[in-house]
Amino acid sequence: MNRRKIIDQFYNSEGLDRKAGVILNKLPAPVNLDTIADNLADPVFIVDLKKNVVWLNKKAEDFFDAGFKQAGGKPIADLTSIKKIDELINDVFEKKTSLKCSYEEASIKVKRLDERFFFKIAINPVFHQGELWGALVQMTDVTRFHEMEKIKTDFVSIVSHEFRTPLTTIIVGVEMLKEGMLGDLTPRGKEVLEAIGSDCERLNRLIDNLMELSRIESGTIYVEAEPVDVTDLVQEAVRPLKLQAERQGIELITDLPPEVPPVAADFNKSVWVLTNLIGNAMRYTDPGGTITVRVRQRGKKLFFSVEDTGCGIPKEHQEKIFRKYVQVSGPVRKGAGGVGLGLAIAKDIVMAHGGEIWVDSEVGKGTVFTFTFPVYKNKEAVTLPGTDQDEEVDL
Amino acid sequence: MNKRILLVEDEKNVILGVRTCLDAVGYEVEIVEDGQEALDAVHRQHPDLILLDLLLPKVDGFEVLKVLKSDEATNSIPIIVLSAKAEEEDRQRAADLGADNYMTKPFKPQELWDLLKQYFS
Repeated sequence: MNRRKIIDQFYNSEGLDRKAGVILNKLPAPVNLDTIADNLADPVFIVDLKKNVVWLNKKAEDFFDAGFKQAGGKPIADLTSIKKIDELINDVFEKKTSLKCSYEEASIKVKRLDERFFFKIAINPVFHQGELWGALVQMTDVTRFHEMEKIKTDFVSIVSHEFRTPLTTIIVGVEMLKEGMLGDLTPRGKEVLEAIGSDCERLNRLIDNLMELSRIESGTIYVEAEPVDVTDLVQEAVRPLKLQAERQGIELITDLPPEVPPVAADFNKSVWVLTNLIGNAMRYTDPGGTITVRVRQRGKKLFFSVEDTGCGIPKEHQEKIFRKYVQVSGPVRKGAGGVGLGLAIAKDIVMAHGGEIWVDSEVGKGTVFTFTFPVYKNKEAVTLPGTDQDEEVDL
Repeated sequence: MNKRILLVEDEKNVILGVRTCLDAVGYEVEIVEDGQEALDAVHRQHPDLILLDLLLPKVDGFEVLKVLKSDEATNSIPIIVLSAKAEEEDRQRAADLGADNYMTKPFKPQELWDLLKQYFS
């Protein structure tokens, strides 16, 4: 027997008309729908097509400090002081489908007295005799969740700070000892110092990446797409690594077409992606090798690639490397280590721009990382997944 | 004459590291360990450059920046912030207060030397 039949049977046996929803009469006597509505933990409103409040529950009255008499007939945007709510309801009226704003997409910040609250909003269209009649607006308090996110970000920030200070002493000391500026070392001593030095760098990168990841995941930064000059972008990414490449005996080449349109990108984030890919390539390329940063246009996309003559990535690892906390084992250069956060972050950033990122590699020959950015058209803003579009209102 | 650098830093180990690094290339280094001492030292001896940590006892680095950069007698002295604070907001705040440069800890000696050269060429 399917589910529907069981339900029908239940209604029949109780002598109830299922379509009329008489089952409600079965609620225990002291409880009715109002009791339920008024005891909900979330504010709930019903608005008509003009977005005026026609009903609100107790929680909504309490929170927004409005009794039904004041609230009835008032525009919901005025009552809640959330301007954005009009836009969200209009959207539902237009599409006639429910809008379940996830916390990430739109958490609305409401300031009341000295407290700040964050809500996620669900809006459902209400129909009467087949015609759109109004909407049911439900607000869920996600303030606690927001606080936890903040605690996490602050924690990462504190840990990062506490790591950086002692690392300063270690790195400065190791470098000076290595250069022989504090006296001679045995060959073995020098080797040990090299190892300490490269592990310090690894720790340092890890801290940078953890901070970046925590920022992205807590949504405190967003990708604001502006027209970005590609030559500027490439130069900014290459500049800090040029000297290091020279010292490592690696040739760093840029190859750009003579004319290239601007991309729609967040400048700092896109520089970060490119710098990260070049930095990776440098870690896996031996002296005498070459790294080429290439830009090509194909239709409405620009293809950025970083090609190295390094050790390559085995096929079975090529898909995994964009996941968090993965590091490819195998023919990896000594001291090249690093937690695989960089590529995961790069992927997040590229995807947030509406682009793609992938890798082509052959063991022993080299690796090419390629990502795409859209050519800039007009004003457009891209938002990272996990980004709040906060609207702050005072009550 | 050797260039005189005032290092404002309260972590003993970092002081040792940075001083060793500056000594090695012949800079004359004076060290103070809190913000108030930094302000006194600057007025007393007018260094050629200041390396400034941000989290300092008594008067913090931001305040030191604000005072020195808003005083005509001292606002021409280059101030390079050396801080473990890596957030963009801190960098921006330091820049707004007039910091000439900002280097995030940790750094390599070569990076510090290269940066200092820009101010002493």
